[in-house]
Amino acid sequence: MQDYVLLMIGAALVNNVILARFLGLCSFMGVTTRLDTAIGMGLATTFVITVSSMVDWAVGNYLLGPYDLWYLRTVTFILVIAAAVQFTELTVRKVSPPLFKMLGIYLPLITTNCAVLGVALILVEHKMNFIEATLFGFSSSLGFTLVMVMFAGLRERLAFSEVPRLFAGPPIGFITASLLALAFLGFSGISTHS
Amino acid sequence: MEHSRGQATDDPDWIAAANQPELVEAIARVVALEGKYALLEPEQSTSCGSCVAAGHCGSREWGSAANRLIGRRFTLVNTDEFRVGERLVIGVSHRALLRASMTAYVLPLLIMLLVGIVAQSLAGDDVITMIATAIGLGIGLLAARGVAYILSATGQLAPYFLRRANRSATTCQITAA
Repeated sequence: MQDYVLLMIGAALVNNVILARFLGLCSFMGVTTRLDTAIGMGLATTFVITVSSMVDWAVGNYLLGPYDLWYLRTVTFILVIAAAVQFTELTVRKVSPPLFKMLGIYLPLITTNCAVLGVALILVEHKMNFIEATLFGFSSSLGFTLVMVMFAGLRERLAFSEVPRLFAGPPIGFITASLLALAFLGFSGISTHS
Repeated sequence: MEHSRGQATDDPDWIAAANQPELVEAIARVVALEGKYALLEPEQSTSCGSCVAAGHCGSREWGSAANRLIGRRFTLVNTDEFRVGERLVIGVSHRALLRASMTAYVLPLLIMLLVGIVAQSLAGDDVITMIATAIGLGIGLLAARGVAYILSATGQLAPYFLRRANRSATTCQITAA
């Protein structure tokens, strides 16, 4: 159990998808203008990354590995991610139409999110078992959501602040993001080796 | 909140505003009127401002964002003599959106991971864990369905009519920070 906790802390904070691996920056800058959209997008991405991590692990270990097809992994994983997004959309629509009406808008955006593909490629390079790969995907995406929500909160605060005209808009957003990344560097001091 | 500007917290207006439930605003178009209800279709939220144009062009090919919006149509009580084609600003409680996100995405995942971890610790085999995880996901989705039914039945997911949208209003929120 301790290994699982360390794996999750490492994936969510120490090697954060956005601030340490620099993946998913498009949605990080594009969807964080409002806190509610950041939460919706972050949690939808969490679901898709976790499900696609499970499927990618199975495809990698039972199809690509045995038949020596690793060179096809990027194309295969893109296909799996697109299928996972469609699966999520259909499932939410069938499970609860009211929830789909409220949340369905973010799902098509996730298909082109490089963080989803990045997490899948990272987890097959590490020799993890199935549950470790699933937890890695889940905690990586929780780290993604955490940073999205934090940054959205900061940008909402910035909207009420007096920013010099030259820095208004995206420039102060990038400066804030870089300061946030520096703050997250502090987590790199945590040893996650048991 | 206004508090960040240093406004006094004993100001009655500020206290009244702070006690109001936070609403997430969106724009929806009236597509049909059915008795005392209006059928609304939400506009796609994009950062490019093309949502207003997309609503007019009529290019709703299969699989497009506009096509997806048809599946997200909802009804609203026609309290203000809405007309077909009108654009309305509707609001959803911030808490309702958070509850809906947690129910749809987080609850199934937590149940799935719990079942998966238990299966891994008991069996220690990847194939068995995969099957158990899939079953856990199914249970989680059923649980999400139950919770969503309760939320919907108690009206916690219902949108509110706030005001009529002006012609240039979009759901795009480009914050000038």
